[in-house]
Amino acid sequence: MKKHILGFCLSAIAISGYSQTFNAGIRIQKTQEMYWENGVSAQYSFKNLKPNQLFFGFDYVTTRLGSAIGSNAMKQDNFIFSGSWAFRKDKAFHPVARLNMGYFYADYEEEIFSSLPNTAFLCAPEFVLNYEIPNLPLSVNLGTGYYVGFTSEANSPGTLQPLYYHLDVHYTIFKNKDHE
Amino acid sequence: MNKLIYLPLIIVAILLGSCTKEPTDLDGLLDGDIIMDASLYAPEDYLISVKYPNPSVDDLNKHILIAIHGFSASTFEWQEFQDYSDTLGPYRVSQVLLDGHGRTYEDFKNSTWKDWSQAIKREYEKLEELGYTKISLVGSSTGGPLILELVSSGYFESHTNPKYIFLIDPIIVSSIKIQSIAGLIGPMLGYVEAENSGDEVKYWYTYRPQETVRELNALMKAVRKDLEKGITLPSNTYLKSFHSDKDPTANSASTVLIYKGVTSSNGNHIDAEIIDSEIHVFTRLALREGITQKDIANQQKAFEEMATKLSK
Repeated sequence: MKKHILGFCLSAIAISGYSQTFNAGIRIQKTQEMYWENGVSAQYSFKNLKPNQLFFGFDYVTTRLGSAIGSNAMKQDNFIFSGSWAFRKDKAFHPVARLNMGYFYADYEEEIFSSLPNTAFLCAPEFVLNYEIPNLPLSVNLGTGYYVGFTSEANSPGTLQPLYYHLDVHYTIFKNKDHE
Repeated sequence: MNKLIYLPLIIVAILLGSCTKEPTDLDGLLDGDIIMDASLYAPEDYLISVKYPNPSVDDLNKHILIAIHGFSASTFEWQEFQDYSDTLGPYRVSQVLLDGHGRTYEDFKNSTWKDWSQAIKREYEKLEELGYTKISLVGSSTGGPLILELVSSGYFESHTNPKYIFLIDPIIVSSIKIQSIAGLIGPMLGYVEAENSGDEVKYWYTYRPQETVRELNALMKAVRKDLEKGITLPSNTYLKSFHSDKDPTANSASTVLIYKGVTSSNGNHIDAEIIDSEIHVFTRLALREGITQKDIANQQKAFEEMATKLSK
């Protein structure tokens, strides 16, 4: 346990050494005609690479924290890496363009379904509206994206549907002053 | 710059203009007003309740399988199983035509999914009135969620429990990803055109109104929600779902969801089988191009399995 805490602290120090801003929080996501998938969201920008304008992020959303709670909905996970560009970054309310890449996994649970496609590569352009709450280390992101398919539709997991909406609430863990 | 101000208005006008889009030149298609489903002219050739209005004791001892076709299809979808089945044998097949189907494009457009299932209920209740007690159901594609909706709505609480339920490539989630946003883009498109070939145009609608695609989505969503909560079969009802592993229309995950969501009255899992096939509704091979020996074997195996169960 001590090792894990130490590892986490070292990682945080390492990140803060290079990072301009580091936000983390929760994501609530709904897919059109499909599930609620909720989870965690984090993003950071580097000191020497368009600070507070170019962000790299990671999101994990799952039906295990959404539609599958107490129901027979499919248990499925999305691991998403993203790159974002903030426009009008000095304004509290500003638009963001984002490109997501990631991995989708649906748990079919039974051996008889082992031959069915249950994983997919994720790629989704996304449009986000970001609002940084003045005088508070909080920001709210409202976004919508569309998964682009790279395989034939018959070979894509059926519960991965393309259009989704999400709400992220981020807490600013640290934010250095702009160098530019 | 001023012209740019009008751009959104122009786009809105184009979109609104396209809302009235209707297909033209429907001659030779099921969508027109000349070709109708044959069961409308000769119901006695399709419906057991009409063919045997005064059933004998022998007739009443037979299993009756109500065969239900899918979205935009017609009774033709189950004709091969009708032809396969021996009318002198221990079971008979009653092919229902879903309401709103097999008629004109306008009739289809104006129908809802609740209308579609009325034909199933009518035949089921007529068979009950005539004294049949061994009634079963088979549904292909949209026929699947229509049957599941009957179960989840409690329909069978006041009717004879079905003996067997067979689902062939049932649709709970679509393989066609863009279908999930039909509610957003549908009004702009008006309709979507199916890729029917040859004589298929006489048995399937070529043009699918966006209104009915949205109805299909509503049905899929309602049944998916029911499955999430859990559906319990009536007592002594057997259910098996067959699904093509590479179904291009009804995603094979549909059968996973049915397997997770439906239990027998004693709490057991239903039966499910994944078929090595790229065909949607693998039991219908007539009029298809490029049929392989494997496709024929898949069809015959499913027919044989259903026939064996219905012959008990």
